Amino acid sequence: MNMVLYLKIDPITLHRVVDRGRELGAQYVEARFQDDYRVSVSTRNDKVLAVTSSRSSGVGIRVLVNGSLGFASTNSTTLSDILEVVELAVSQAKATSKLRKKPIEFSDEKLGDGKYSVDEKRSLLGLNVEEMIKLAMEIYRAAKSSVKEAKLPFFVTDIRLHIQEKLVVTSDGARVESRVPRLYITSSLTIMHPQKGTLQRSIEFGGSGGAELVEKWNPVKTISEEQARLERVLLRGVAPPSEKVPVVLGPEVVGLIAHESAGHPMEADRILGREAAQAGESYVKPEYIGSFRVGNRYATVIDDPTIPNSYGFFLYDDEGVKARPRFLYKEGLINEPLHNRHTARIFNTKSNGAARSMDYASEPIIRMSNTYIAPGDMDFDELIEDIDLGVYVKSYMEWNIDDVRWNQRYVGLEAYTIRKGELDEPVRNPVLEFTTGWFYSSILGVDKNLEFYPGTCGKGEPSQGVPVWFGGPNVKLSRMKIGVLS
Amino acid sequence: MRKDLQDTVSKLVERLSRNFDEVAVLAVSSKETMVKIWNSEPSVVQLWSRVGLNLRLAKSGRLWVLTYHTHEPEALVSHAEDILKVANRISEAELYASLPEYATCKPITGAFDNNVEFYTKNPDKLVDSLITETLSTGVDRVSGTISLGQVERILVTSKGYECSEAKTTFEVYARAFKGELTGHWAHGSTRVSLDAVRDVGRRAGYYATITKNRVDFTPGEYDVVLSPLVMGNLLEYVAWMSSALMVLMGFSIFAKYKPGDKVAVESFSVYDAPRDTSLPGVVGFDAEGVETHNKPIIEKGVLVTLLHNNATASKMNTKSTGNAGWVNPQPWNLDVPGGLIREEELVRELRDGVFITNNWYTRLQNYYEGLFSTVSRDAALLVKNGEIVGHVGRIRVTSTFNKLLSGIKGISKERFDVQWWEVRIPTRAPYIIVSKLRLTRPEA
Repeated sequence: MNMVLYLKIDPITLHRVVDRGRELGAQYVEARFQDDYRVSVSTRNDKVLAVTSSRSSGVGIRVLVNGSLGFASTNSTTLSDILEVVELAVSQAKATSKLRKKPIEFSDEKLGDGKYSVDEKRSLLGLNVEEMIKLAMEIYRAAKSSVKEAKLPFFVTDIRLHIQEKLVVTSDGARVESRVPRLYITSSLTIMHPQKGTLQRSIEFGGSGGAELVEKWNPVKTISEEQARLERVLLRGVAPPSEKVPVVLGPEVVGLIAHESAGHPMEADRILGREAAQAGESYVKPEYIGSFRVGNRYATVIDDPTIPNSYGFFLYDDEGVKARPRFLYKEGLINEPLHNRHTARIFNTKSNGAARSMDYASEPIIRMSNTYIAPGDMDFDELIEDIDLGVYVKSYMEWNIDDVRWNQRYVGLEAYTIRKGELDEPVRNPVLEFTTGWFYSSILGVDKNLEFYPGTCGKGEPSQGVPVWFGGPNVKLSRMKIGVLS
Repeated sequence: MRKDLQDTVSKLVERLSRNFDEVAVLAVSSKETMVKIWNSEPSVVQLWSRVGLNLRLAKSGRLWVLTYHTHEPEALVSHAEDILKVANRISEAELYASLPEYATCKPITGAFDNNVEFYTKNPDKLVDSLITETLSTGVDRVSGTISLGQVERILVTSKGYECSEAKTTFEVYARAFKGELTGHWAHGSTRVSLDAVRDVGRRAGYYATITKNRVDFTPGEYDVVLSPLVMGNLLEYVAWMSSALMVLMGFSIFAKYKPGDKVAVESFSVYDAPRDTSLPGVVGFDAEGVETHNKPIIEKGVLVTLLHNNATASKMNTKSTGNAGWVNPQPWNLDVPGGLIREEELVRELRDGVFITNNWYTRLQNYYEGLFSTVSRDAALLVKNGEIVGHVGRIRVTSTFNKLLSGIKGISKERFDVQWWEVRIPTRAPYIIVSKLRLTRPEA
């Protein structure tokens, strides 16, 4: 393992903090040092907007006292300051414990003791600011030359490096050290035509690993090719068919649907109502687990933190529990929610390692990692060969879903008519509105082309943004009415 | 004021000025407490004590922004020295202007409530009040959040500007559940208030119990009442799109307009109000050391100004509006003047339409055109002949910001200071009636 840790804290300090919390009466103490180092370059067209870097580094402490949960953090790494913080966390948790009717308890788990890191074939920090600017300029030049009839007045690129290091120590024996480097590239573009109006799109790449990810993604070629297709959508796009037609969704749209309508409603804290006043609750009720059918045999949705080089990668969660793939929906059945040690106790099961924290100052809460719909074995051509008239939606810009994760909307960006089993003319701004139940019950087929896309998922209070992947194959749906933006 | 932090900042500026043309250091020190409520009991109490050091470094037109949550300023100096090694090899920043020359420090006063410290240590009294008051309306359960904070800012620049100020913050919101209907309310201030806590609980409970009837809903165009919570959420997008940087990036409805253009109905105005000491976004100086002032973004339907820092102002041949953000200008507080309609007359005034009390998940297909949709999450009430006939469940508003701002036909007299998970810019907003907004819901 290639471990070069910033970790400017003596692990003994965290053990001392845990011991102090126990002395003060806490049944459980968890101390996490976390360092998040970021460097980013932002450009507008062929100019540099800003070079920024940030370091967020400190200790987050969680205590369970008299059945009440307290969290406190400090960005001081001196023992005396941290001991003061654990004392504060314990006293506040004690103070609010009298308002609790039922004590909070954690499940007993086999906890991790070790280290892991993501290998970098080429050091991520070796990708210096000069190279990042050069790459952004190459992306812009290729994108500009790919637009023929329209104009490209606004083109903004962000390239961001992120090194995340953690050390988690708990009073019941976890001790996990980790290092995950991540790279994220996005270009946000506006294509403009005097008669046809404007089209906007954000194209994103994200993953964990080293600077070799740039070669793997080839953003210069990928963005310019997509932009050429988007220009065609703007200039030649037609309205979708007015009658109900079969719809095929590309992996980017499918991945987002999996994230929004399977991943979020299967977060056990949301099912129990812990996020009710913020990110909302879930259409899934505790009694649905293992018995409620939300879709047909194609509806298998997996969340897997262990996918190598993924954006949502981790091997142990922030409670020290080993990560593993979770089958959220299995062949249409509500199967396994995402758990931390708190919800696992309530559901009388074991945690499946879903507790994540954005930074040292954030409490670990249940989060997705890499969520996707299981692929099949068909080619794309086979998937669409029997469609006489339909629509293929490859990408999107606008989307949203209600707070119980049932009523949702996606507005396509790159989209095409399907005629007699082949892609035909582009379609402009097709609007898809459906329910979770309809989507997972209306899948007619999935192909074998599993692809992933990066995102930053928001949840918690204060809101925590964590890196995730979402993905899937191309998915064919039964007939539906497609709306248009007016 | 923290003398140790002030000294650290001054020393950082002095040391870095040896190698950079310009240096600005903004230190933010805060102590915050948050209690989260779940199913009518606390789920977690969270405490933060942190120091953030933010640096703007310039050399030969090149610009770097460093943000460090650290107690180790030496790490920042070391990082800055690394920057020097590559300084000449990177391009000049497109948006660059010198920091302003020395100006007098005029910090805000009157935004620090000493009671906040007491409740930071004893939040259980506020939590108990919120739970008790909400449940007293007859609802089944309540969730929500209470947050308290003490924030100190110190800015020192190599141009001789040196200023510091302190404020307190208080935020409370509740979501009440009664059967399948929910109600939500929120409040944000620099002052802690038990009355405000009780009011949030009562209003959340009121909307959760306002009707028991679930009624059919047909998608289409409706006249709509948008609550201060909805307006706070939607105006946050308008305010960020009024940042000059967003305009320069094309991610703004204002990219196609210039100051003086009509963008809304005459009865509508929205102000950026950093000098309002009762709203928690209050700030006396921006990140460049420019004294802040209240200003209209839109006044009587006309776009008055974009929000600028010195760099965007220089690019657009105008003056800073005191909204820096070293890269992106930012709104501080939003203030929408009230109108003539009394709150209790809103339903009668709407006559036929839908009353949306809260929303979430606003997303745009195209910022330049302002194409957006947003989803109702609490009571959405069908109104016929001036009476509430029932609630319609979760529906979606799909429109453009231009159409929204041009369709306003009524504004309430009462205004509310709101802030919560979906309204991060503290906003003083009225209820607003908008004509003919498209409302949708899936067929299947």
